[in-house]
Amino acid sequence: MTGPTGTEPTVAHPDLPEIGILIIGGGIVGSCLAGFLAKEGLDVAVVDSGWAGGTTANAGSLHVQMQSIFLQRFPHLVHRLEASLGLYKSAAAYWSDFQKELGADCEVKVNGGLMIAENQEQLDFLAKKAKREAELGLEVDVLDRASLDRIAPYLGPAVIGAELCAHEGKVNPLLANKAIRAWGKTHGAVRLAEERVLQLTADKAGFRATTARGQIKAGKVVLAAGYESMALAAQLGVHVPTRADPLHMNITEGTAPFITHLVQHANRPITLKQLGSGQAVIGGGWPAELGAPGRIPVVKLSSMVGNLSLAQHIIPQLSPLRVIRTWAGINTGVDGCGVIGAAPSVSGLYFAIPGDAGYTLGPLTARLAADCIQGRAPGEDISSCDPDRFTAI
Amino acid sequence: MSDRVPFTFDGVSLEGRYGESLAAALMGAGYTDFRQTRTGHARSIFCGMGVCQDCLVNVDGKPNQRACMTKLEKSVSVESEIFGRPLPAVAEGQPFKLIDDVPEESPEVLVIGAGPGGLSAAIAARRSGARVVVADERPAPGGQYFKQVLVDGRDVAPPDRQHLEGRRLIETALKLGVEIRNNMDVWGAFGPNDLVATEAGFIRRFSPQRLVVATGAYERGVPVPGWTLPGVMTTGAAQTLWRSYRRLPGARILIAGNGPLNMQVASELKDGGAEIAGVVELAEMPLLKSISALSRMAAAAPRLVRDGLRYRSRLSDVPIVYGSAITRIAPSENGLTVQVSSYPDAGKTGTRTFEVDTVCLGYGFQPSNEILRALGCEHVFDSQRGQFVAVLDDKCRTSVENVYSLGDCTGLGGARVALSNGRIAGWAVAEDLGHAPPPSNELDQERRNLSRHQRFQAALWELYAAPRPKIDLASPDTIVCRCEEVTVSQIQDVLKSENPSIGDLKRATRAGMGSCQGRYCGPILSELVAASKGQPPDDSVRFAPRMPVKPVCIADIARIAKP
Ligand SMILES: Cc1cc2nc3c(=O)[nH]c(=O)nc-3n(C[C@H](O)[C@H](O)[C@H](O)COP(=O)(O)OP(=O)(O)OC[C@H]3O[C@@H](n4cnc5c(N)ncnc54)[C@H](O)[C@@H]3O)c2cc1C
Ligand code: FES
Repeated sequence: MTGPTGTEPTVAHPDLPEIGILIIGGGIVGSCLAGFLAKEGLDVAVVDSGWAGGTTANAGSLHVQMQSIFLQRFPHLVHRLEASLGLYKSAAAYWSDFQKELGADCEVKVNGGLMIAENQEQLDFLAKKAKREAELGLEVDVLDRASLDRIAPYLGPAVIGAELCAHEGKVNPLLANKAIRAWGKTHGAVRLAEERVLQLTADKAGFRATTARGQIKAGKVVLAAGYESMALAAQLGVHVPTRADPLHMNITEGTAPFITHLVQHANRPITLKQLGSGQAVIGGGWPAELGAPGRIPVVKLSSMVGNLSLAQHIIPQLSPLRVIRTWAGINTGVDGCGVIGAAPSVSGLYFAIPGDAGYTLGPLTARLAADCIQGRAPGEDISSCDPDRFTAI
Repeated sequence: MSDRVPFTFDGVSLEGRYGESLAAALMGAGYTDFRQTRTGHARSIFCGMGVCQDCLVNVDGKPNQRACMTKLEKSVSVESEIFGRPLPAVAEGQPFKLIDDVPEESPEVLVIGAGPGGLSAAIAARRSGARVVVADERPAPGGQYFKQVLVDGRDVAPPDRQHLEGRRLIETALKLGVEIRNNMDVWGAFGPNDLVATEAGFIRRFSPQRLVVATGAYERGVPVPGWTLPGVMTTGAAQTLWRSYRRLPGARILIAGNGPLNMQVASELKDGGAEIAGVVELAEMPLLKSISALSRMAAAAPRLVRDGLRYRSRLSDVPIVYGSAITRIAPSENGLTVQVSSYPDAGKTGTRTFEVDTVCLGYGFQPSNEILRALGCEHVFDSQRGQFVAVLDDKCRTSVENVYSLGDCTGLGGARVALSNGRIAGWAVAEDLGHAPPPSNELDQERRNLSRHQRFQAALWELYAAPRPKIDLASPDTIVCRCEEVTVSQIQDVLKSENPSIGDLKRATRAGMGSCQGRYCGPILSELVAASKGQPPDDSVRFAPRMPVKPVCIADIARIAKP
C-alpha cells in the first residue's frame, strides 16, 4: 500500500495505530466531543492540524439573535437561520452549565446583546426582526435612546436605539479552550496535535486516516473539521457544502470594564465586547484573506480601518485605546444551520459542524453529536441539521 | 522661546526642558515610578526607545502615552498610569470612514527609519534623482547612533563629534530635498506598496514604488530577578537620556551585559557626572588570544579602536568585572542591591554585591524586523547571535520584490555598516527605478568600505564572544513576559506538560500578548520551544507576525487629515 502522495509506503501511526472513534478537527466542537465521549468511557482520539484547532481564533461572543450581516449576505437562507434559532438559544444557555461541568471559570457572562441603530430605517428593521424573533421564542426588546441611556450609557450620540436580546453574552475563549483541553485529558481523550489528515478512506473493516506520520485505523469517524470537512467528506463520496469565511479581528490593551453587552450594528458588520482582562475585542464580519492552504489567513488593512472606525463611531470612549494585535480566523458557514449526526450513506461516519456562530453552538453541538453516536435521542430538535439534506455529489 | 516648560506629575508642579521627553523630564525631577501594572507593581523607563511600553503615563487625560516618546513642548498635566483606570469620557467619535477615504501618498521611495542606514539610503537615492520620503517614529531624525541633542540651555553640554557627524548627515539629506517625516509611526505593512502609518494623530497611507526598511534594533531581553524594577533600564535607554536630553539616569550606576556599547555608555555617563560603580561584562578579559582580533580591528578602523581605548582609559578607576553577569537585583533602602557572579560557572570567582541607584542592562540587540516579517521577507536563524537575520543580496534586496533592507534591522552590523549599505541600497533602488547608476568607481569604493567595516565588526564580536544567557540568570518566579507578567515557571510548566507550539504557549500563558507584542519574551520563547522540540529555531517557532507593528490608538486610525 502506498501513502497519500502515492510514493512512500504507509506505516501504522506510531502513537495511534488504532482507535474506536477518531474525531478529525480539534476546535471547540471536536475538543468538547472528545471530552464527552471519553467521559462515557469510549475509546476516542482527536487529531488536529494545529495544536488547538481552528476556532481558537474566534472572539468568544455568544450570539443568539439573527445577525444583520447574515441577513444581508444570504437573504435566501433566512428561513434556514430561523430554523436553528432555538438551537442558538439553548446553546448560549448551555455554556453556563458546561462551564460548571468543566469546573473552571471561563468568564461566561450572559448580560444580553445589543444591536444598535443609527437612524429610523435601521430601527424599523430591528423592530421587524425583533417581532419575528419573538414569534420564534426569543426574549427580545427594542429600546429607544432614553432606555439605552439607562443600560448602556457608553453608547455614543450616533446611536438612536437598539434591539436587546437577553440570551446573548460572551465567554473568554482562551480560558475556555484551556479548560476544555484539560477536562478532556482527565477523562482520557487522546489528542494528536499538528497533524493534518491527508487521506480518509472507508471499507467494511472501518476507516483509515492517514497523516504525515502514518495511518490510523478507526471504527468510527467524526468530521468536526469546520470548513475543511467538505473536502474530507468528499473523499468518502459524501457532499457537505461547508464554506470558509476568513474574518478579521482586533484586540485592544486593557482598561476598566465599561462595555457590559455584546454590541452589534443593524446595518454594518461589527461585534464588540470587553473581556475580563479589560481588553476590547472588535470584529464581526470584516473579511480577511484566506492565504495559502494550511497557512494562517491574513488580515486586511481595509477591514482593520473600517472595523475600528466603526467601533469608535458608536462607542467614542474607545477612541484613546490602542489596538495591540489583529488576527484572522476562518469561520465555517453552511446554509444557516449546522450539520450534526450520522452520514446518510457511509456507516460509522458522523458530522459535528456547528452553524455560523460556531463557538456559541460548540459545546451543545458536541453534546448532541455524542447523543447521535451513542444512539440516544438528542435532547434538542436537530432536524434542521440533518446531514441528509444535501444532494449527493 | 523659553527653554523651560512647566508641567505637573500626579498633581505636583515641576519644570522640564523644552524638547525633552516626558521620561527625561520626570527622571530629571527625580521620579522613577511611571506606572502600575495589573498586579500593582511599579514600572519605569526601560527601553527608552518606544518599544517596551513600560513608561506609560496619562497625558492631559490621554491614557497609555509612552513617556519616552512624548516630547515636552507645552505645559501638560501628567499622571502615572494605573492599569485599569477608567477611560475618559469622549463626547463624540469621528465619522465612520473606510480605507478608501484615506488619501495615498506615492513617493518613488519610502524609507522607514531615519537612522544612519535609512538616511544614507535616502541620500544616495535622492542624489541619483529619486523622490524619497523618510518616515521615522521619533521626534527627530538620527536613529540610535546619531540621536541629536534635543534640548537647549546653559546647563546643556554641547554636542560631541558623533552628534555633529549625524547633524551633517541630516542636513545633507534635507538640503538634497529628502522629505523627512518625524513622528511618523509606520505600524502596518500589508504589502510592499501598501503601508500605513500615523502622524501626529492622523492616519497616513503610502504606496511607494520601492520600499527601504531600515528600522534598526532594540535591546535583547535577558530576564534576571529584579529586571522589571524601576531603576533598571537598558544601556540604550540610559544613553538616550544622556545623549539626547542631557539627563543622567541616576547618580550611582552599574552597567552590565555584553558588548562594546556598555563601555562607551559608561564612559559617556561618567563624563556627564555620574558615578559608575562598575561594568560587568559576560566576555572574559581580552588576553593575548585577542591580539589578533584587536589588530584586525585596528587595521580596519583605527579611529573606532582609538575611541574604544579612550572609553576604556576614562574608566581606569572603575571596576570592570569580566566573565560575569548580574544574577539578582533587589530593592534596598537607598536604591538597588545587585549581585554579580561569574557566568556561566557561578562559583568560579565568588559573588560580589553592589549598592547603586541605577542598573543598565545591555546584552546586545535584536533586529526590529517586524515589518520585514509582515511582508514575508525570508529570514534565517543565526545561532551564534541568537537572532533571525534577513536574507539579502549584495544590493540589499530582500526576497520580496521591491523591498530593500539594511542596517541593524537585518542583523547586527553597527552604524558604519549601515552607512555603507545605505549608500549601496540607495543607489540600487534609484537605478532600479530607472535613474542614473552611480559611477562604478564610487560603488567599488563603497564595497571596499563595507567589507572593511564588516571585518571590524566580525573581529569585535570575536573580542566580545561569550556564552549567551537565555533564562539561565532567572529564578522560577522571575518575569519573562514583562507586559503580561508571566514567570519562568509558568512557561516551563506548559513546555513540560504540553510540548506546545509557540502560538499555543502564548495562548496558554498569555506570554507575548501584551503591548510590547512579544519583543522581549518572544526571542527567548522561540529558542525554548525549538529546544523542547529538538529542532533548530526556524520561522515555525516564532510568534506569527501581527499587525499593528506597534500599538496604535483607535482615534488615530479613524482620524483622517484634510487633504
Ligand atoms: C539603544 C542603542 C544604543 C546604541 N548606541 C550605540 C553607540 O553608542 N555607539 C555605537 O557605535 N553604536 C550604538 N548602537 C548601534 C548603532 O546605533 C546602530 O548600529 C546604528 O544606529 C544602526 O543604524 P540603523 O539605521 O540600522 O538603525 P537605527 O539607528 O536604530 O535607526 C532606525 C530608526 O527607525 C525608526 N523606526 C523603527 N521602526 C519604525 C517604524 N515602524 N516606523 C517609523 N520609524 C521606525 C526608529 O525610530 C529609528 O530612528 C546602539 C544601538 C541601540 C539599539
Ligand atoms: S521606555 Fe518608553 S517604551 Fe520603553
